[in-house]
Amino acid sequence: MANLSQTMTVPGQQDTPPEKAAIEVANLSHIYAGAQGAVPALEDISMSVGSGRFVVIVGPSGCGKTSLLMMLAGLRAQSQGTILCHGRPISNPDPQRVGVIFQEASLYPWLTALDNIEFPLSLRGAPRDERRRRAQAMLILVGLEGFGERYPHELSGGMKQRVSIARGLVQDPPVLLMDEPFAALDEQTRMTMGHELLRIWSKTSKTVVFITHSLTEAVFLADEVLVMSARPGRIIDRIAVTLTRPRTYEMMATDAFGQLRERIWHQIRKAD
Amino acid sequence: MSRAQIIMTRLALLALVLAAWELLPRHQVVNPLLLPPLGDVLSMLGKLLLQARVHEAIGVTAAEVVVAFLIAVPLGAVLGVLIAESDYLGEVFKPMLFYVFSIPKSIFLPMFILAFGITFAQKVAYAAFTTTFVVMISAATAVESVKQDYILVARSYGATRAQILMRVYVPSMMPLLLEALRISMIFNFTGVMIAEMYASRTGIGHMISGWGENFQMPELFAGVILLSAVAVLFNEAVRFFEARCSAWRT
Ligand SMILES: Nc1ncnc2c1ncn2[C@@H]1O[C@H](COP(=O)(O)OP(=O)(O)OP(=O)(O)O)[C@@H](O)[C@H]1O
Ligand SMILES: [Mg+2]
Repeated sequence: MANLSQTMTVPGQQDTPPEKAAIEVANLSHIYAGAQGAVPALEDISMSVGSGRFVVIVGPSGCGKTSLLMMLAGLRAQSQGTILCHGRPISNPDPQRVGVIFQEASLYPWLTALDNIEFPLSLRGAPRDERRRRAQAMLILVGLEGFGERYPHELSGGMKQRVSIARGLVQDPPVLLMDEPFAALDEQTRMTMGHELLRIWSKTSKTVVFITHSLTEAVFLADEVLVMSARPGRIIDRIAVTLTRPRTYEMMATDAFGQLRERIWHQIRKAD
Repeated sequence: MSRAQIIMTRLALLALVLAAWELLPRHQVVNPLLLPPLGDVLSMLGKLLLQARVHEAIGVTAAEVVVAFLIAVPLGAVLGVLIAESDYLGEVFKPMLFYVFSIPKSIFLPMFILAFGITFAQKVAYAAFTTTFVVMISAATAVESVKQDYILVARSYGATRAQILMRVYVPSMMPLLLEALRISMIFNFTGVMIAEMYASRTGIGHMISGWGENFQMPELFAGVILLSAVAVLFNEAVRFFEARCSAWRT
């Protein structure tokens, strides 16, 4: 039945997606004007991320994942194509709609954990009480109660990344973009953080776009995995991860998990 | 080693040096004409400190140091930020700057004397000239030290240009700038001294070089102690400012 409706879809007359899309990218391409000539980085990317979904992007190094994320965040303008976030175009950073979490926690070393979390609120001049209250709530959400007065250099890598997530969540944006947020962490902390992220996500019902190089992490976290080709980056496969939620560490040992991981690996090898 | 032990060791070393300074010349182990005993030097310092012309010299030197510093720091900071922030100015001036920086500035001193005569302005201009380079290069380095990630994060949270400047650039550069301030003060003080010793009618540097030429060793060493005290004072003044500015240190 599902197959039938797909084959019958005519371009320009697609059936409406079952859920409202939080992010819609249509025919996005990007060319960098480098010193050694033009670098085509992204080619004809179209994707749709349903509201509340957890989508993971994987692809070979240099295929344009970070570039795509920057454009979704409104931090960089694409050469061609459109990006809609909840139906409205994104052209400038809009922290009310989109929160970004970067690879390095990139916390400000001159601010305490709490002040770092408050930073986005203080930029728009929120009253002090409100700032404190919301930052405290975020600190508790990410499991760092009591660490608010510490400076980043007094925190472990995992704790820093938790603060960074809290900072991304403090304005309560419906969409969260994460660029390899756990890449700098050791394997064990990384898995714990993934688990933590799912816990937080299930409580906040955000739409998440998450970039990673780790296939295990991709399968563990995602509703859907998008595989990109080597430069210029195109989306060459979309893999639905049908594992039930909540995800557990035990699932990683199952055949279903292994097969999904295998399929992504196969696609990436083709892509490179 | 505990903190107290370290301090004790330091004091012991200092006492040892001072005792050697007093005792070795006193007992003719070293020639007291070349190195007068500490006691003689200190009593000379006491006498000098009562003299009006010494007061005047201290006043003139201090004024030169302060004025040159107040000119060089903002000037160097603005120029440094400009060459760091503007790709064009950076490309044009940075190589030149590094070449000029490598030249000993004292060879320009005769030009300052020709331009300003042997005056207050000559010392200030020369010291400010040498210090501006240091501040400029430090400021440019400080700007370049600001991590792009920090700026990106602020932009992603919708920071305006002014907010990025005040909330990211300034605090991020602060430790380097404060460090630079102290080093600039050392260069600045050295500049004033060189200018005074080279050609001057007053100032501590001028007095010291005069005593040296006339082989007045007690006066010379008293002058050196006095000068060291003034230099340490300026250094501490900058450090006091530094401590008040830097809430965080890594
Ligand atoms: N500002 C830029 N100017 C010119 N070229 C750029 C710029 N930023 C990225 N590129 C190029 O675009 C391509 C994609 O870069 P991007 O950082 O998006 O890749 P990525 O998929 O995130 O890589 P990685 O997995 O290593 O993080 C790379 O070839 C890169 O060299
Ligand atoms: Mg990247």
